[in-house]
Amino acid sequence: MLKDITLGQYYPVASPVHRLDPRVKLMGTLIFLISLFVADRWPCYLLATLFLGGCIRVSRVPLGYILRGLKMVIFLLMFSVAFNVFLTPGEVLVQAWIFRITREGLLQGAYMAARLIYLVMGSSLMTFTTTPNALTDGMEKGLGFLRVFRVPVHELAMTMSIALRFIPLLTEEADKIMKAQMARGADFESGSLLQRAKALVPLLVPLFISAFRRAMDLAMAMESRCYRGGAGRTKMHPLRYQRRDAAAYGLLALYLGLMIALRVLV
Amino acid sequence: MGIVRTDRLVYEYVRRDEENQVEETLRAVDGVSLDVEEGQFVAILGRNGSGKSTLAKHINALLFPTDGVVWVGGMDTRREEFLWDIRQTAGMVFQNPDNQIIASVVEEDVGFGPENMGVPTPEIWRRVQESLEAVGMYAYRQASPNHLSGGQKQRVAIAGVMAMRPRCIVLDEPTAMLDPSGRKEVIRTVRKLNREEGITVILITHYMEETVEADRIFVMDDGRLRMAGAPREIFAQVEELKAMGLDVPQATELGFRLAKDGLPIPSGILTIPELVQSLRDARDAGARVRAASQEDRADGQASAPKKGDGPEPAPAAEPVLELRNVSYRYGAGTPMEIQVLKGLSLSIPQGQFVCPIGHTGSGKSTLIQHLNGLLRPDSGEVRFRGEDIFAEKYDRRRLRGKVGMVFQYPEHQLFESDVLADVCFGPKNLGLSQEEAEARAREALRLVGMDESYYRRSPFELSGGQKRRAAIAGVLAMEPEVLVLDEPTAGLDPAGRDEILDQVARLHRERGMAVVLVSHSMEDVARYAERLVVLDAGQVILDGTPRQVFLHFRELEKMGLSAPQVTYLMEELRQAGFPAAGHGITVEEAERDILRCFREETAE
Repeated sequence: MLKDITLGQYYPVASPVHRLDPRVKLMGTLIFLISLFVADRWPCYLLATLFLGGCIRVSRVPLGYILRGLKMVIFLLMFSVAFNVFLTPGEVLVQAWIFRITREGLLQGAYMAARLIYLVMGSSLMTFTTTPNALTDGMEKGLGFLRVFRVPVHELAMTMSIALRFIPLLTEEADKIMKAQMARGADFESGSLLQRAKALVPLLVPLFISAFRRAMDLAMAMESRCYRGGAGRTKMHPLRYQRRDAAAYGLLALYLGLMIALRVLV
Repeated sequence: MGIVRTDRLVYEYVRRDEENQVEETLRAVDGVSLDVEEGQFVAILGRNGSGKSTLAKHINALLFPTDGVVWVGGMDTRREEFLWDIRQTAGMVFQNPDNQIIASVVEEDVGFGPENMGVPTPEIWRRVQESLEAVGMYAYRQASPNHLSGGQKQRVAIAGVMAMRPRCIVLDEPTAMLDPSGRKEVIRTVRKLNREEGITVILITHYMEETVEADRIFVMDDGRLRMAGAPREIFAQVEELKAMGLDVPQATELGFRLAKDGLPIPSGILTIPELVQSLRDARDAGARVRAASQEDRADGQASAPKKGDGPEPAPAAEPVLELRNVSYRYGAGTPMEIQVLKGLSLSIPQGQFVCPIGHTGSGKSTLIQHLNGLLRPDSGEVRFRGEDIFAEKYDRRRLRGKVGMVFQYPEHQLFESDVLADVCFGPKNLGLSQEEAEARAREALRLVGMDESYYRRSPFELSGGQKRRAAIAGVLAMEPEVLVLDEPTAGLDPAGRDEILDQVARLHRERGMAVVLVSHSMEDVARYAERLVVLDAGQVILDGTPRQVFLHFRELEKMGLSAPQVTYLMEELRQAGFPAAGHGITVEEAERDILRCFREETAE
């Protein structure tokens, strides 16, 4: 069940999307998110669908892989859809007791669902096509100006990339500990909410301890390989924009422009 | 002066209480002076807690001496200005392959060191390529470390150090968490770097066979350097090594025993060919052993507990556990789907000691997780005492009390504030009262040989071996009828390994508990198992007593397995003209068989 967390896992294939500068992909994801909030009618969503579909196609990451990330947000998704469907005032379609479904509500619910789903898919696509290190480099360089305000950009970026590297290891570990405690008769699946929360203690304590142990080991391994923060460090992949990056920025601008045009003009 | 030299090195771990007062100091390294010549392959042996890792961390300037001096490449590690040069001169590879890989792509990880050192980009790429080629991992440069085997990950870690162009590599138990093929892979790589690139290697380990080809061995015990010398000199001191909780290669031990029995075998035998040669020489010289001493020994052997060479286990009327035609797939319905078990059937009679063996990925771990219903077969049945455990109303939680399972590194599942409470967790889940649970917990802790003074201590303060015993007690406290263990000795030193296995064997003998033990060590399974089940690609390939199974050692090798060292020895002896050498699979049996050869031949 924990294996479903696909967020933050790199999918290693060669594709034009994989080759893009991470700053482009970060910016692209940001623009895509903005465009989703700009979108308020179906032609906009059609455009977003085409755009996202195109990106996924070009990235050569299997669609099923990206969709699996949705399992994580399924509750949030259902909740917000229900919220919209039942609570939006407008032309009543169905009424049962205090529940009322309106035409506008259905529409809003559908838009909200699309928005959330695309949001998750868009950001998963970024992590699938960008190695955590490249992502970190992108953030470090793209947000480097924040250093002026004493934001430890390099350290934050490094922390993030390490966190991403360890997510699959820790999920695997959680799975193992869970099985080990189940073998000792632990029950994670039944009982009241309180009982279930209590049942998590034998899982969480060992998991935290393991995370600390790993953190200490890792810190030592990094030190022994001469890590001493960002100063004086060179890069294996120094970020330099290529022609394809300019093209990608162009496409992004076009996409955002179209989206705004659709909203304003249609 | 050599590349690494220490002079009366002392290191103390200081534990402080909340007020920052010194609570206790532990002297981990105590007056160690050693000198390692550039270009040598040096091994440091010692049991867990002997101070060898602490020593290693001084060579990489991760720890600094409490007293004494460490020089690396002539640089005093206490001088701050040398810090980065020292870490570059003597790179370090750690035990846990997962916890030292920083990046999510192999080549980026290898480049991490040079990046930190400020090496220009094109040069980094050159070094990454060279280093990955040197460890034979260039083909995997784009792979994610999570998809590599343990041995491959360690090779990536070695490449990461090589990319810093060190003169010396310190490896701190790099093979402790690997399976036999991964271990071979890593040692082969390290030896190659030593021979071909002239890199000084300092290998810390408690696998004796990895040190046989070293130029020099240092043996540590209790923080002190107890022995130093060539492997032949070190391994000549069999009894001293055993007293320090260490072991010797099987050929060495057998040679030592035969010499004690009166055969003219030189001390410090390291390999099988050496032992075969000296036995030939002994025969040609007309050596003989007194018949009496041999018979004493044979009597002693007969009364010893049966160790796998007895008759076939009597077919029990009612198997306690039974798998019928079980198939299982991981990741069903995804592109990564793998069929792990393919129509596997296995029946385990009451009170049997059975070891499933197979290389990593052969389905052993999957198999044992079916025994207590943690995994549900895609098809086929699992029966406990004749009942289908996946029947609708079957209580699988109760079953888990009857089929106790000790996972690999069981100490990672400890969570309570004291040892006793942790051991009570299982019995309480079975619905026992606090008193009953505690009574069982005490009994279980007694069974694993834990002193009462530990009961109220936090499990996290214990040593590695003690933690593992506490964790095993946590399973025993449920009073299982079948005990399943997945590599219970992983990462333990030889003495710790023998203690755990002897305890399991005693539970089997005295309580009639059926034991299912998964182990990668053929030497261990030969000593303890009554029955071996060889798995390959999710199917049972061979099933029989250890002696029967190891007769097929050529087939085992094709499956990535091997037989105990003595099996090969006996085979070579037969070929060398000792027709009566027999098929011994343990050192004791081999000793008896060889002595018989000498008696029979000289009796002619």
